[in-house]
Amino acid sequence: MADALLRTDPVSGRAFAGDGVKISLAPPMARYSLRARQPEVLERLLGLKLSRQIGATLNGAACLGPDEWLLRAPAGTSLTTAAGLPVAITEVSERSVCLIVEGVRAAEVLAAVCPLDLDRYALGRATRTVFETVEIVLLRTGEERFEVEVWRSFAPWLNTSLQTAAGQLR
Amino acid sequence: MSGFRLDRGGRVDRTRPIGFSFDGATYRGFAGDTLASALLANGVMLFGRSFKYHRPRGLLGAGSEEPNALISVSRGPGRHTPNQRATAIEIYEGLTATSQNRWPSLKTDLGAINDRLGMFLPAGFYNKTFMWPRSFWDKLYEPLIRRAAGLGEAPSEEDPDHYGATYAHCDLLIVGAGPAGIDAALEASGTAKRVILIDEQDEPGGGALDDPALWSWLSESLKDLAAAPNVTMLSRTTAFGYYHDNFIGAVERLTDHSAEIGSGPREKLWRIRAAEVILAQGAIERPLVFAGNDVPGVMLASAARTYLHRYAVAVGRSVAVMAAQDSGWRDAFAHARAGVNIAAIVEVRETVTPALLDEAQALGIAVQLGHSVIEVHGRHAVKDVTTARNDGTAVNRLTCDALLMAGGWTPSVHLWSHSKGTLAWDEALGAYVPDRANENVRCVGACSGTWNFGSGMVIDRLPTPRNQAKIKAFVDFQNDVTAKDIDLAVREGFKSIEHIKRYTTTGMATDQGKTSNLNGLQIASKALGRHATEVGLTTFRPPYTPQTFGALAGHAQGALFQPIRKTPIDGWAEENGAVFELVAQWRRARYFPQAGEDMHAAVNRECRAVRSAVGIFDASTLGKIEVVGPDAAEFLNRMYTNPWKALEPGRCRYGLLLREDGFITDDGVSARLARDRFHLTTTTGGAARVLNMMEDYLQTEWPELDVWLTSTTEQWAVIALQGPLARQVLEPLVEGIDLSPEAFPHMAIREGTICGVPTRLFRVSFTGELGFEINVPAAYGRALWERLMDVGAAFGITPYGTEAMHVLRAEKGFVIVGQDTDGTVTPDDAGLDWAVGKKKSDFVGKRSLSRPDIVAEGRKQLVGLLTDDPAVVLEEGAQIVADPDQPIPMTMIGHVTSAYWSEALGRSIALALVAGGRQRMGEVLYVPMPGTVISTKVSGTVFYDPEGARLNG
Repeated sequence: MADALLRTDPVSGRAFAGDGVKISLAPPMARYSLRARQPEVLERLLGLKLSRQIGATLNGAACLGPDEWLLRAPAGTSLTTAAGLPVAITEVSERSVCLIVEGVRAAEVLAAVCPLDLDRYALGRATRTVFETVEIVLLRTGEERFEVEVWRSFAPWLNTSLQTAAGQLR
Repeated sequence: MSGFRLDRGGRVDRTRPIGFSFDGATYRGFAGDTLASALLANGVMLFGRSFKYHRPRGLLGAGSEEPNALISVSRGPGRHTPNQRATAIEIYEGLTATSQNRWPSLKTDLGAINDRLGMFLPAGFYNKTFMWPRSFWDKLYEPLIRRAAGLGEAPSEEDPDHYGATYAHCDLLIVGAGPAGIDAALEASGTAKRVILIDEQDEPGGGALDDPALWSWLSESLKDLAAAPNVTMLSRTTAFGYYHDNFIGAVERLTDHSAEIGSGPREKLWRIRAAEVILAQGAIERPLVFAGNDVPGVMLASAARTYLHRYAVAVGRSVAVMAAQDSGWRDAFAHARAGVNIAAIVEVRETVTPALLDEAQALGIAVQLGHSVIEVHGRHAVKDVTTARNDGTAVNRLTCDALLMAGGWTPSVHLWSHSKGTLAWDEALGAYVPDRANENVRCVGACSGTWNFGSGMVIDRLPTPRNQAKIKAFVDFQNDVTAKDIDLAVREGFKSIEHIKRYTTTGMATDQGKTSNLNGLQIASKALGRHATEVGLTTFRPPYTPQTFGALAGHAQGALFQPIRKTPIDGWAEENGAVFELVAQWRRARYFPQAGEDMHAAVNRECRAVRSAVGIFDASTLGKIEVVGPDAAEFLNRMYTNPWKALEPGRCRYGLLLREDGFITDDGVSARLARDRFHLTTTTGGAARVLNMMEDYLQTEWPELDVWLTSTTEQWAVIALQGPLARQVLEPLVEGIDLSPEAFPHMAIREGTICGVPTRLFRVSFTGELGFEINVPAAYGRALWERLMDVGAAFGITPYGTEAMHVLRAEKGFVIVGQDTDGTVTPDDAGLDWAVGKKKSDFVGKRSLSRPDIVAEGRKQLVGLLTDDPAVVLEEGAQIVADPDQPIPMTMIGHVTSAYWSEALGRSIALALVAGGRQRMGEVLYVPMPGTVISTKVSGTVFYDPEGARLNG
């Protein structure tokens, strides 16, 4: 067997450092889309408590909708396929990449292109929203730290957009 | 006094002189001057030529309402901005400004002949005259009219500037930093509210800037606001539009005022969501309507006061005032106290309050009560004016070099109207004022109509002994509309202001009638003998003032114009010389030319490789949807035309998706991974649409189904290996999957690993050859591609692009939805009836397939076309006729949907939609082209390997 295949990421692994903001690519992680009418079924199956509140994150799973959670877990985490139960567990680890926007001016950079009110965006919040025309999931993982989940092919555009906004800070 | 600049006063910084040029001549002004105030200070009265008659024009106003003084500013290639108001251009060292709409010069403009021909250019002239012959419009009339009538020239080079944008949220947005806006901000400054206060001028203060008595209050207030942490103050920022749910668009100008452009953005778009909005936009003074009211030197009284107090500039050495309003008297008094000679106050009212008369007397100002100006003498500047009693007697000349008009006040209800707030008529103001709010918004100060300007008389036009039909008394200065134009419109039968406006173009210039709407309405009202409210009300629309396209585009230029989606393998394609094409938002490799090859040669080589050895193709852009849940098969069975419930796990099926109307909307091969899990594929362009459509049905029609849809398009990189040697390339790399034809038949899926990475391996073919589509997690797509290229080198592996893919599939008669179908094609039309489950009780679109017109004879059907000359490749989109000798217009019976050179067949092939096509097998049809007619024979759609033997390698 030849050497193992190497990963290729859509944006550079080198961080962008701006005035009061740093933009970097998060390391690979496992991602699963979890769907169920009754969250209890998923909870029993996964042994994991899920938030019922849309926008809240619990145990790494962000509640994005009434029957939808995005679970982010360490790379390599593998979940059951739950055959037969009224749930859907779909692996989407490589569907998106995560850009970390952090620093005292992180919110200001994001506000350039993201229509959410980030002053009122509590720690732990996660929301599927748009960044200009591109769909993202925005997570606030620190007072001055946001994570932007974006589909792989949109990542270069989003990265350029964030860097442009960061470069225009006054 | 030197020139027209007063020796003291004003808010300009006399320690900072600034040099600039206008029409090639150089001038000096001070920091804080606008182009208008600086030129006035230098005695310049003439600023432009009017739109239609090319009449000399000066300044009417001092703010963003200015209709006359439109100026172009050039700051190097691509930085030419026409149609800026001189009153809103801040001067900076080296500013280069030019006047517009004149030739050869502002003083000597040949276009002014239009002014003499005025009687031949009535309202509606263009509509009446240039309609016939119709064919002259595009080539002759419109270009001529556009050149003669006009605004500045649009820049021809690419804009080198870039533009910023942001969203902002606040609890209180205040538009306008005049006294009322500042008071509102001060009131909120001690609270927890997030406050944004925006103002269009370089300096906040609004009307307070014109009143030295308020200056200490102003500076204290601004200091307090600057110290308030919850208040954000934005100057040079125009709120241009008010949209639903308190969403306000504003543009902040960042560099247009400074000598150094710098590297930052030129302008910044603010998209503000406010819990509450306070509009403090102020009011704009109205001109009076009389003959000669547009001669340079005739201006609004309030504007003259702004020049006097804010810029320390006198608009003349001997100034007359034509008033219908107390505020005009006060402006005259302000001038007199500042040492400017007031020639007289001419007042149309017969009486005014004694206090005004007393003050005029104390200041030694002559007063003519019950008089009006009936003529203004001078062409490029006021020489003197003729006044008369309102009954036409007592005609006399009054020497002056400027005339101020005080015609009353119009509250600025622009943004209020954008927000769909209702308006009420205020009889005393003769204007509309805000009534009921539609959003969480209120108006304060002058724009609410509650400001005390003193009393006045609302008058449509000044009395004159002259024939009103013979004089030019301007209503809309920017569009050159006179009172008699509106009279004419009324005589010709127009009754609504919306129609009068469009016929005369009054209020339709770039200033949206800020100074003209109400006068126009009053004149129409009088001419019609109906109350103003019955004549109507024109609609204000964004933008409040013209904005640059750059500001509205914001970041969306260059690389950020729109995302170009690239596959994980795109980088390899780029490094290996691929020529790309855009498919939906994706960039796809079209072909991979080698040295010296054109597209034709490259595509032929790629096709030969697939048919004789093995080709490798990046199919990552295929839409993918994972359908999971106990009801997954039931759901697909309802969506697709063919049966899905009996499909065994491990097998694939071609799915055809119709809309409710029975027409094909998408297709793709999908695999059943488990009882409750399917891996769907869609067309590249259809991915989002299909997911939306399926979600729509799931959520609204069948919410009881336990099934969920997840887009996995980007989870997987997809590499198609196609060709007789595909299995040999693949075999050594795959673990856990038996690739033998018995264990892994055509239209099957297996899961295992490839080079150590998990894979969903499809055995499918879009080429007719033995083929596999290898799905791997996207991050490994490129590495796997490179490994396959290494391993496949010994087998002659050849990358091919979308062009070869198209040829290969066409040789097999496989349709491409969106190319061979166009949204009006049923499964039967496309020859895909076999994919419709005849025994199924229902599926999306089923009912429509039995509509009479869908089952009627003679529908267009997909057939093959083989040209008589095998070397001729038809053009896609070309029309097809049965009789080439028919006179034009011929009866067109169909069109070519796909046409290629087939390397495998050594001839051209084509697919076409032809009326009754399948009944025409072997028939000769014709494709008329410029200079020639191509004859062609109708054939089946499968040109190559009709038995399908090659699928097995």
